[in-house]
Amino acid sequence: MTARLAGWLDERLGWRRVWESIFLRKVPKVNWLYTLGSATLFVAINQIVTGILLTIYYVPTPDHAYDSVQYITTQVPAGWLIRGLHHWGASAMVVLTALHMLRVILHGAYKYPREVTWLTGVGLLVLVLGFGFTGYLLPWDQKAYWATTVGTRIAGVAPVIGDVILRIMRGGEELSAVTLARFFGAHVWILPAGLLGLLGIHMFLVVRNGISAVPRRED
Amino acid sequence: MSASSASSTTPVGRRGFLGFVTWAIGGLVSLGFGIPALAYLFGPALRSQQEETWLPLGAASKVPLNTPTLFKATVKRQAGWIVSEEQIAAFVLTEDGREFIAMSNICTHLGCRVRWIADKEQFLSPCHNGIFDKLGNVVSGPPPRPLDRYPVKVENGQILILGG
Repeated sequence: MTARLAGWLDERLGWRRVWESIFLRKVPKVNWLYTLGSATLFVAINQIVTGILLTIYYVPTPDHAYDSVQYITTQVPAGWLIRGLHHWGASAMVVLTALHMLRVILHGAYKYPREVTWLTGVGLLVLVLGFGFTGYLLPWDQKAYWATTVGTRIAGVAPVIGDVILRIMRGGEELSAVTLARFFGAHVWILPAGLLGLLGIHMFLVVRNGISAVPRRED
Repeated sequence: MSASSASSTTPVGRRGFLGFVTWAIGGLVSLGFGIPALAYLFGPALRSQQEETWLPLGAASKVPLNTPTLFKATVKRQAGWIVSEEQIAAFVLTEDGREFIAMSNICTHLGCRVRWIADKEQFLSPCHNGIFDKLGNVVSGPPPRPLDRYPVKVENGQILILGG
């Protein structure tokens, strides 16, 4: 029954070829460092799942943000776990993305024909840092407030356009409800849209071009 | 997933075994996310309501004979992280000044508030013309059952109802 259904679907979707080219493709003999990309992808999926769950109770306004986060952590069943996974997953994202990039640099895997994979990867690194920066404000506690005060002011020291950048980030002169709302919007809509787009291209290119072998002495 | 490369004595080859292990680990990870996610999503919604307490409505001497009279009480409600005060109202009726009944003013049809129409001696729910008599029994209209009653007691001349 299942086999017949799978066959029926394959005739219409061609999913077997897609499955084979993704999961049954040939790879060179590599080492454990080559799992860093997959590890990053796994944590990214963790961030998406737990992030979606957090929005069920989180409210991004100054009078509710802190209380709703406390409610998630102390009252909702498994809320501490969901929040903890998202919190520690955020740090893991930055660490894993950086290690993955380091491996690609040291193995020279960014070279022809994989330049575009590398460029989308750089874009993904910037997005991950953006996620970290915007997400840090959302618990709306002292650490969040002052970290964002400092972070936006760092952006503000850029010559000529610094003040404009600071005002655009804060949504005005001061850190306020407007800042919290736009950081939330960036964190759950703008950055994820960019992430899914770039990630799609990145993964497509990994499958299309294959991965590079470990460089040999004569390379 | 064929076992062609394995020796003929083992029914499951290396490739098949590793495939199975991969699916099993994936399944465990999915359960590890899925079960907490369900508890997280449904837990607060299914949590039991807060406990009921005796709420003072007012002096028993203020209740006129044979006329349902509306009394209000303030209750504390907690929804999520927000604690708010809310008013609940009950019609109190006594026929002899000693025995009291307290009825909810919430229509049993769809939750509209009923009002007492003095000259007809009936409760009217304005939404779909539900009509109840003085004791809260359905006279006409769509309500499926009489008005709900609160347990009542009188202490030191005060009327108290059990609610929350």
